Amino acid sequence: MTRFVLRRVLAAIPIGLIVTLGVFALVFAMPGDPLRELAGDKPIPAAVLAAKRAQFHLDDPFIVQYLLSMKDILTGHFGSTFAGADIADQLRLRIPVTLKLATLSLALQWIAGLLFGLYAGFRRNGVIDRMLLLSTLVVLAVPGLVLYFAGQYVFGVQLKWLPVSGVADGYPISYLLPAVCIAITGFAGMARLTRTSIVDTANADFVKTGRAKGLGEQRILWRHVLPNALLPVVTLMGIDFAGIFAGAVLAESIFNLPGLGQFMFQAIKLKEGGVVVLLSTLAFLMFILINLLVDIVYGAIDPRVRNV
Amino acid sequence: MTGVLGVTLGLALVLSSCGDGKSSGDNAGGGGAKSVVIAIAADPLEYINPLNENGSPGIQVAQAMFAPLVTTDPSSGKTVNVMAESVTPDKTSQTWTIKLKPGNSFQNGQPLTAKDYVDSWNLTAQGSTAWKNNGFFSKVEGYDALNPETPDGATPKPTAVKTLSGLKQIDEMTFSVKLKVPFSQFGLTLQYLGLAPLPEEVRKNPDAYKRKPIGNGAYKLDGTWNAGEDIKLAKWDGYKGPNAPDADSITYRYIPNADTAYNEFLAGTVDFVDVPPTKVKTFKTDAPDGWVTAESSGANYLTIPAWDARFKNPKLRHAFSMAIDRKAFADLVGLSTPSKGLIGPDINGYRDNACKYCDFDAAKAKQLLQEAGGFSGPVNINYNTTSATGQIFAEAIGNMIRQNLGLEVKYTGKQGSEITELADTRKLDGLRFSGWGHDYPSIEDYLTPMFKSTGDANFAGYNNPALDKVLAQGDAEPDQEQAIKLYQQAEDIALEDMPLIPLYAKQNAYLHSAKIEPRVSKYTGVQALYSTFK
Repeated sequence: MTRFVLRRVLAAIPIGLIVTLGVFALVFAMPGDPLRELAGDKPIPAAVLAAKRAQFHLDDPFIVQYLLSMKDILTGHFGSTFAGADIADQLRLRIPVTLKLATLSLALQWIAGLLFGLYAGFRRNGVIDRMLLLSTLVVLAVPGLVLYFAGQYVFGVQLKWLPVSGVADGYPISYLLPAVCIAITGFAGMARLTRTSIVDTANADFVKTGRAKGLGEQRILWRHVLPNALLPVVTLMGIDFAGIFAGAVLAESIFNLPGLGQFMFQAIKLKEGGVVVLLSTLAFLMFILINLLVDIVYGAIDPRVRNV
Repeated sequence: MTGVLGVTLGLALVLSSCGDGKSSGDNAGGGGAKSVVIAIAADPLEYINPLNENGSPGIQVAQAMFAPLVTTDPSSGKTVNVMAESVTPDKTSQTWTIKLKPGNSFQNGQPLTAKDYVDSWNLTAQGSTAWKNNGFFSKVEGYDALNPETPDGATPKPTAVKTLSGLKQIDEMTFSVKLKVPFSQFGLTLQYLGLAPLPEEVRKNPDAYKRKPIGNGAYKLDGTWNAGEDIKLAKWDGYKGPNAPDADSITYRYIPNADTAYNEFLAGTVDFVDVPPTKVKTFKTDAPDGWVTAESSGANYLTIPAWDARFKNPKLRHAFSMAIDRKAFADLVGLSTPSKGLIGPDINGYRDNACKYCDFDAAKAKQLLQEAGGFSGPVNINYNTTSATGQIFAEAIGNMIRQNLGLEVKYTGKQGSEITELADTRKLDGLRFSGWGHDYPSIEDYLTPMFKSTGDANFAGYNNPALDKVLAQGDAEPDQEQAIKLYQQAEDIALEDMPLIPLYAKQNAYLHSAKIEPRVSKYTGVQALYSTFK
């Protein structure tokens, strides 16, 4: 197991370099001067411009800027944003916000997705199954942006059940509405995959064999169908978990949650390559970690993949 | 749409003119009596330092915490003293003497003296300090010595000279400012909050006070303020100056998404919010009893590049201008009035018929185009892709040019900062939109930045020595009425040359809760800070 983990971690290093270099290049390639974005609509005095350009190494070649950013990340000297915010402070404040939002939304999404998916899979072509298929189609067809603003308007503005935005009401109240919105957009995929996987597995030859041997229906379901059907679901959960950052960018911006997603959004808006690379590195590390966990869970569920 | 430079979004002076809509909604943001929660649709502030702040989100807070030397009287539009007892120019308007009122102090108890202004201004004028209001002092004698040219990539080093030679403390309460050249409008510029003084302990270590500012205004920070939190202010008993607002406490809540900020208002959690562009058509029904509008302090233009020889003939520019149906365009923009001049409508010296070529007349436009010898190639219109309306507005103008002048039109969408960069390096192909709002209420603050050959917001790359000359005469004219006449002559020259085609003046709309009535003035706009309570 140790060798397996070590191998995966070592393999992550070159991938990490390629990913961060790619992200940095994309931000670098964005048109427009980053400091102009910062200044908004006013002309900036030449002296101020020169000082800022020097502070953030904006006149250095691309590769030098990238290496300086990586050095800052690796040595933990994150410095400050163009607007003057201390990046380490920002991470300290923002990571808990994103984690709270992510865990709540994933919990809701997974519980709803698994419950509906399992039930519909076991009782396929029933009323619940058909309703599920229809409702997931509707959910998949609605863009997240529309859903978020509609949720905000209905539950925040009209019904006043939940805060419109911000974290002033604390956890979990402030996070509930954005988490439910994220969960609604995410649960459809989970529910459909679980259902299909259950249906596929239930029709597999080994299940028929089990039945022919006289195994009880409950034993077939819980001991044979479910563990096999859950393999792709675990993969999706891993991808979901690693992808929370992407979902957080939109949700945190609309619901004014000061998390990493909002930070990423601001950094991209201002073309702050260093911050974008830092946040991408964090996301990448999380991705590697979660992939590792998924592989370990895989082994636990299915002994066949343990030594692959 | 503004996209490109311009549009200073209010700054210290928040927009102007007539209000409407009686407030009797059911909103109740904030806590006890006379408290107001103001939503600002912007990223949260990272620090409060008026000298390093030139955008509306920061200046709004500075307005509550710091008091300016002078301000505009909301009822008369005249400049009145706040911290200053007198502001006196010499005969040439080149040297200005500013005497402070006695008895004022900072919120840490330190008395406010002339030294605080002189030292704060010197600190800001020093290029290596890298504060955003550095440029204000470029008019003061000795600025260049503090801002030597720095090679690309090098950090500006602190200069041996630490003080502006034109800035002198005369006695404890008096100081003088000698400008490089005469400037009759300098007195008006002193109301800019970006010139507020910092007390000695802050000047010694500004970074240590980023989040615990010490002002000289009517409000002080209430408790501590951490990154990302609302800024809570409480009335400061020590403020002895005039114009103290009514509120006992003010909370500034920063909400980056303007639509979310608007929804917060509708949910009743904030007392005052700007109406975002997406709600221009619905805000009156959303808050039927709690809205006000203000005729904007800015103006919006179509910019013609001086570096493209195809646009050189003024007749061609006039043809473009007369091909635009401003009424229809202003209707499309919403909450706007067609412009017939280059100046904001709330400014002393504004003439609503200054432009001879701003009436829509397709036949005349076509004739002018013919007289100018036509136009070769398609007309390219650049628009800001980060603005929700950029493309719509570009296509509206493009259709008018195509239909009324028979020219081929194409469109190029780019990020606003990229358009600005291309224009600054004279590489932008074709027309673009621009806008401007004044920093201080003077006709001069439109003409100098945009039309003077060395103006720092000269969008079109325009250069006419005759206009520069008249501007200089206006700057040197101590009599304000005479100065305005000279500036109007400069405006006439610019309208004849037409580097910028006037398009529209935007109104701004705001929603307010039932418990407050924001101050509405033709001269100082809509100000939530100066709300009265019911």
